[in-house]
Amino acid sequence: MKQPKSFEEGMQRLQEVLSALQDETTPLAQSVKLYAEAANLIAYCKKTLDDAQLRIEEIDAELAQKTGENV
Amino acid sequence: MADFINVTTLNRLAKNVLAQCEPLSNIVVCGEISGFTRHYKSGHLYFNLKDEASSVKSVMFRGQTRLLNFEPQNGMQVLAYGHATIYERDGAFQLYVDYMRPFGAGAAQMAFDALYKKLEGEGLFAQERKRPLPSMPHCIGVVTSKTGAAWQDVQNVIGRRWPLVRLLLAPVTVQGLEAEQSIISGIRALDRDERPDVILVTRGGGSKEDLWIFNSERIARAAAACRKPVVSAVGHEIDTTILDYVADLRAPTPSAAAELCVPDRAEFLQKISVLQENIQNNIQNRMQICYNKFMMVGVRQSMLQVQQGLVRRRQALGQAIQNMEGAQSQKVSQAERSLQAAAALAHSLNPYAVLARGYAIASREGEVRAVEELNPGDRITLYGARAEADCTVRSVRKIMQGSGNP
Repeated sequence: MKQPKSFEEGMQRLQEVLSALQDETTPLAQSVKLYAEAANLIAYCKKTLDDAQLRIEEIDAELAQKTGENV
Repeated sequence: MADFINVTTLNRLAKNVLAQCEPLSNIVVCGEISGFTRHYKSGHLYFNLKDEASSVKSVMFRGQTRLLNFEPQNGMQVLAYGHATIYERDGAFQLYVDYMRPFGAGAAQMAFDALYKKLEGEGLFAQERKRPLPSMPHCIGVVTSKTGAAWQDVQNVIGRRWPLVRLLLAPVTVQGLEAEQSIISGIRALDRDERPDVILVTRGGGSKEDLWIFNSERIARAAAACRKPVVSAVGHEIDTTILDYVADLRAPTPSAAAELCVPDRAEFLQKISVLQENIQNNIQNRMQICYNKFMMVGVRQSMLQVQQGLVRRRQALGQAIQNMEGAQSQKVSQAERSLQAAAALAHSLNPYAVLARGYAIASREGEVRAVEELNPGDRITLYGARAEADCTVRSVRKIMQGSGNP
């Protein structure tokens, strides 16, 4: 099972899995597989939220100004 | 010795005298603008500053006008920063203005209203221009003072609500003469940078004068020119700046802006647990349905088997009944037949039937006797069909076998 690249991707995939599970034409074997995937996605999304740390960077506007543009 | 000087010398003299006067070289003059013109070619500003009693010619060169963050207008009270001297060519006493800002509530409001009208006329405030914020930004560019409370507020709120995001700070000066250019550079730098997907321009609360810089036309235009959505949060709820009108979203405070920029982690955890519940219920239902279906099939199958068994047994029973009835009736008819035969035989053997044909039966002491059993002198009765006769045996003769009947 492939791990989502980002939280958004995880959430989006989770929604898709739910829709697929809600679709009655999905075979049972497939549903069970999807269920396992959903459990994995939920764990991933929760962990991502729980572990997230705010990252802060700085940009030198004056420098960017001088190198990027002539005003 | 000449007793006159030429005009040029006079003017130079006056100028030199004035130059000795320290206060004139760096003054702030308060007055009302009148006779305002912007030279169509040079871009220099010419006007008079006046009060109730006097007026002074004033000029502001184009290079300096870049620093203006309002549109000077006739009737506007301003504070003009600069120096005063003689313009030698005309001998005119003039104020050379380096910087100007509206003075007093009336003037400030006038400047604000004028700029508002102008930018609104250009459609910069139009709702159609407003771009939606990304629902889950990866990086937020923040234009603010690195030492300000606003920056702390933004970090706190976002750290709590959505620490998944990255903050890219463009540290700027939000007060003083350099503030305008600094803020513009910050906005432009963040817009050019690949990383941020939304730009937040913010500063904490302050006096009306402190926040005035955010009414700058050039800042407004820099924000309007951004490719990325811009959120503004200047001062408190009640402070609305020109930047707020141009921004794609206006937040009342820095904290509120931070909240509006990111989703809420708690909300998402809630959302995830709802999803989880949904998925759980779903798979359980699914299993239940399958199990039920399986059970239904099983029940139907076993009912079918029972039914088939019943049919088979019913047939066997029917067959047995039929067989039994057949055997029964066969037996009965056989018995009937043998009875009839026996009856016929019995009938044919009835001795009394023979009597009808004239034969008689001899009986001694109530018992039928064969003639050879009789002895002479026996008293016998002869029974015929219609009469009987009491007789006495006189003699008994044996009849030779085969000698014929009497």
